[in-house]
Amino acid sequence: MKRYHFLLVVFFLLTGNILLAQNYTISGVITDASTRETTIGATVYIKETNKGTSTNEKGFYQLTLPKGNYTLVISYIGFNTVEIPINLNKNLKINQNIEPTVITADEFTVIGEKENQNTDEAVMSTIELKMDKVKTLPAIFGEVDILKTIQLMPGVQTAGEGNSGFYVRGGGPDQNLILLDGATVYNASHLFGFFSVFNADAISEVKLVKGGMPAEYGGRLSSVLDITMNDGDYKDFKVDGGIGVISSRLTIQGPIKKDTASFIASVRRTYAGDLAQPFVSDSSKFKGSNYYFYDFNAKFNYKLSSRDKLSLSGYFGRDVFTFKNSDDGFDLTTPWGNAIVALKWSRIISDEFYGDVTASFTDYRFRVEAVQDQFSFGLFSGITDYSLKADYTYLPSILHKIKFGAAYTFHKFTPNSADVSSGDVDFNTGEKIFNYSNEGALYISDEWDISEKLKIQPGLRYTIYQHIGPFKRFSKDETTGAPLDTVVYDKGETVKVYQGLEPRFTARYAFSENSSLKASFTQNYQYIHLATLATVSLPTDQWLPSTEVTKPQFSTQYALGYFKNLFKNKWESSVEVYYKDMKNQVEYKDGVSPQDDGGTNVDNNLTFGRGWSYGAEFFIKKKYGKVNGWIGYTLSWTKRQFDDLNYGKAFFPRYDRRHDASIVFNYDISDRLVLGATWVYATGNALTLPTARYFIEGKVVNEFGERNTFRMEAFHRLDVALTLKGKETKKFKSSWNFSIYNLYNRKNPYFIYFSNEGNVFDGTLDLQAKQVSLFGIIPSVSWNFNF
Amino acid sequence: MNIIKNIAPAFLSLLMVFFLLSCEKDIVIDLPDAEVKLVVEGNIEQGRPPFVILTKSSPYFEPTDLTSLRQLFVSGALVTVSNGTNTVQLTEICTDQLPDSLLPAVAELIGVSLNNLQTFGFCVYTTLDTTIYGEIGKTYNLYVEADGKVATSSSQIPPLVFMNRYWYKDQPGFSNFGYLWFELSDPPQYGNAYRVFTKRVGKDSRFIPVFGSVFKDQFINGLTFEGTFARGQEVNSQAPDDLAETSEYYQQGDTVIVKFCTIDMPHFNFWESFEIASFNSGNPFSAPTIVETNINGGLGVWGGYGVTYDTLVLVD
Repeated sequence: MKRYHFLLVVFFLLTGNILLAQNYTISGVITDASTRETTIGATVYIKETNKGTSTNEKGFYQLTLPKGNYTLVISYIGFNTVEIPINLNKNLKINQNIEPTVITADEFTVIGEKENQNTDEAVMSTIELKMDKVKTLPAIFGEVDILKTIQLMPGVQTAGEGNSGFYVRGGGPDQNLILLDGATVYNASHLFGFFSVFNADAISEVKLVKGGMPAEYGGRLSSVLDITMNDGDYKDFKVDGGIGVISSRLTIQGPIKKDTASFIASVRRTYAGDLAQPFVSDSSKFKGSNYYFYDFNAKFNYKLSSRDKLSLSGYFGRDVFTFKNSDDGFDLTTPWGNAIVALKWSRIISDEFYGDVTASFTDYRFRVEAVQDQFSFGLFSGITDYSLKADYTYLPSILHKIKFGAAYTFHKFTPNSADVSSGDVDFNTGEKIFNYSNEGALYISDEWDISEKLKIQPGLRYTIYQHIGPFKRFSKDETTGAPLDTVVYDKGETVKVYQGLEPRFTARYAFSENSSLKASFTQNYQYIHLATLATVSLPTDQWLPSTEVTKPQFSTQYALGYFKNLFKNKWESSVEVYYKDMKNQVEYKDGVSPQDDGGTNVDNNLTFGRGWSYGAEFFIKKKYGKVNGWIGYTLSWTKRQFDDLNYGKAFFPRYDRRHDASIVFNYDISDRLVLGATWVYATGNALTLPTARYFIEGKVVNEFGERNTFRMEAFHRLDVALTLKGKETKKFKSSWNFSIYNLYNRKNPYFIYFSNEGNVFDGTLDLQAKQVSLFGIIPSVSWNFNF
Repeated sequence: MNIIKNIAPAFLSLLMVFFLLSCEKDIVIDLPDAEVKLVVEGNIEQGRPPFVILTKSSPYFEPTDLTSLRQLFVSGALVTVSNGTNTVQLTEICTDQLPDSLLPAVAELIGVSLNNLQTFGFCVYTTLDTTIYGEIGKTYNLYVEADGKVATSSSQIPPLVFMNRYWYKDQPGFSNFGYLWFELSDPPQYGNAYRVFTKRVGKDSRFIPVFGSVFKDQFINGLTFEGTFARGQEVNSQAPDDLAETSEYYQQGDTVIVKFCTIDMPHFNFWESFEIASFNSGNPFSAPTIVETNINGGLGVWGGYGVTYDTLVLVD
């Protein structure tokens, strides 16, 4: 394989050199003089031509120009701008230290990003968010939530009121790859999706890729949400914290060894349940019931040398729900959550060649334990991954940026397994079934400037998946449930292998400096599946591997976009259209209930079909100024078709949204006062309702119509937030955040049900459709500080 | 088995925290036209004639006054039951044709309370031909033809299974109220399913299904194990003991007749999905529960019961 890479590199080099004939290259690394850290995103440009670039994630830049005399300008947020006169008659290497400066707010925003980034890069359907922008937006109960901010972007649909789950371009919630410092996060929500597991104080940056997925990402069909944790301060100790209505947060960061090693540790815990405790009387039958969740994030960084850095990131979070009912002696405990560790070694091999090696562990588990009298019930499910991956970037010339790498993951799946006992008798709930699999990937891509106008990024990803033993394939008599034959695979024995090539291609054609057309084509395999019985993401959802029964999901996506920057790059706008086709989608068969998974392979209860979606996304954003924000609008269609569901007819999934719009508004009223507002609008969920009814034993029985043919009312809501910064002292800063969720108290439908009251037999029966709305107007306040 | 049934409500109670903030309103929904289907509610027990109540489904928001509901009965249908050797046509009998003295017995036979039977009036298809009375082990085929529609089904009266023993125990924290306990030895082969009814002598006018009235041997095949039954109640009962905190318990001192039935698997699937559907009604997180009928060409259930009775006086 190494030789293959080498040949590709040589090929790219050769083609690159032909185009380079008349030009010379300036390259180098820009470093923060105070911390000796390399600077990411510093602007480097030529004053005379006003053309430039920005430094990459290693602080490296490269520019190619015809022979001549120029002035090289280096600027970076919060640093003094440096101008260097150069005489370009050979390739030059210029490494530069830059000094921090005292800045004003205006400078901060104006040079915050590389200009024309969105029209220039051969990257589309990608969204990046900085945490400081997220924090001034309104949030329910004052809980800042990056996943909910992501939902404000076109092409990203929310799973429902207050929910942090999201759907990208018609893909299911399992088709989003969520990475925290390179490690997979399997269940990104607390409390049935109301809050995300990401503590905003521990996060520095978020990137969402919803189409044109670069070859370095894979394993999911629809999107990548790449979350980077804060590194921690290499110079000084800092404490950040916040006290809110339902939770509090505390973050400590600082140097372990000045300029060499740093750490950050962040905790968050909710206490709404604890606060309610004193109000539960001692005599209440529910005494002892409680709910809370907590998160712990930590990261250590160590610079081994100027070219090597080690970082160790960890996340641990749990939801804990206890329920007691002394009336019937019922006692339930359910802890669930993620544990994640990632160790990353970043190495700059040379200015043109650098990369990371990441080893990670991730574990998601859910457990229910219930006791009543002599009966006990336990349910356990989970997934554990061990991964190793290497990602490299090679810059053979200014015209090429080659990325290549490899990844390997070992998965262990525990589908729902139950223990039930009555006194000394253990019920026969079947053997514990575990599934094991290996997943590997190799990729290469090149970002290639063919000409000033045309830039392409071809990529290829090869993935291989092996389901291995120990494994047992059960089959059962359809009516009696009696076990028939069982196929047994020994440890290490191959059950099934799948492999495939995933071509990726993105092209950009620039009409001018500030307008371009982009197109992408991507194919992805996904070897794991999420089987869900409920209509929203619940901790009981199970991750399942591909097996000889369940084939890997496969998608093809085409996207085309026009990008234009207006008013000297103060405004960004784009229009994208896409079509996505998804094969081997999974759903439970009709009529399956959770206990049917006991003692059998879960995929025996699944059925398979396809999905497709298409739509157009419109986006306009004002980046700078006292008033900034964006408007996004998506027009889309999403469908699913399963031979065994809905009589084989295609249906809309519940989150199909014809219209989805959001407006985000930020207004810096003064240095101390920021107003944020968001307004969202979405077509109502598709749902299945009864169309007819009949009576059995005097009870009303519903006869359902076709799947998801009914629509709820549209969803819309306005939230506002006011952030008031306290008087700053040199050491201590604080701010108050007042927010109002659902300002005009819109009664958005959360679900609809048909109630029946009264008695069939005496004429008092009353049938009525009822709509339940979850959150009306909710004001909240939080106080944040740092020193 | 109440432990498993308690889990879902526990989770719902957690969501109630949010529902405290929620609000509800009546809405008007325009539903598409629905096809009208035949609905069968029929059963046969050993030593008894078959009973079939024949109604039809109706669009959801049709009127629900007594006259409209009574019009759901399907009259003049051709209903036959066959046991493989004999085929017998059932005759339609409506309660308004019967003397009042017979009504308590009829209420018992078709499984409605006397009160409901009297106010509502029922029509049922049955026969006095003893050659078609239920026999253990036999399979009964049902054929219904009405309004140009045909519905068929088939159900077995499975071999009897006898409960080892029953007893009563006060629930901790309560005196004089508790579950009914049982010990069962499930037969060695897979495929056994059960339905349980109880009748408190002098309190209930019929055998009422216990709360969660069906279970099968999926996880208990061949085991001897102990379990509990929670008391069921009439639909929308306003009786004081059905509204009390102790409504799911039996009371010490009650005389209770337990009707413990073996049923076949398609019959079980109907009642299980029927009970889940009524339990999940109004639960926002569950997918719609489709009640699994064993009627071809229609809705509802046709089921054979292999019945055993035990009478107990509840003493801790």
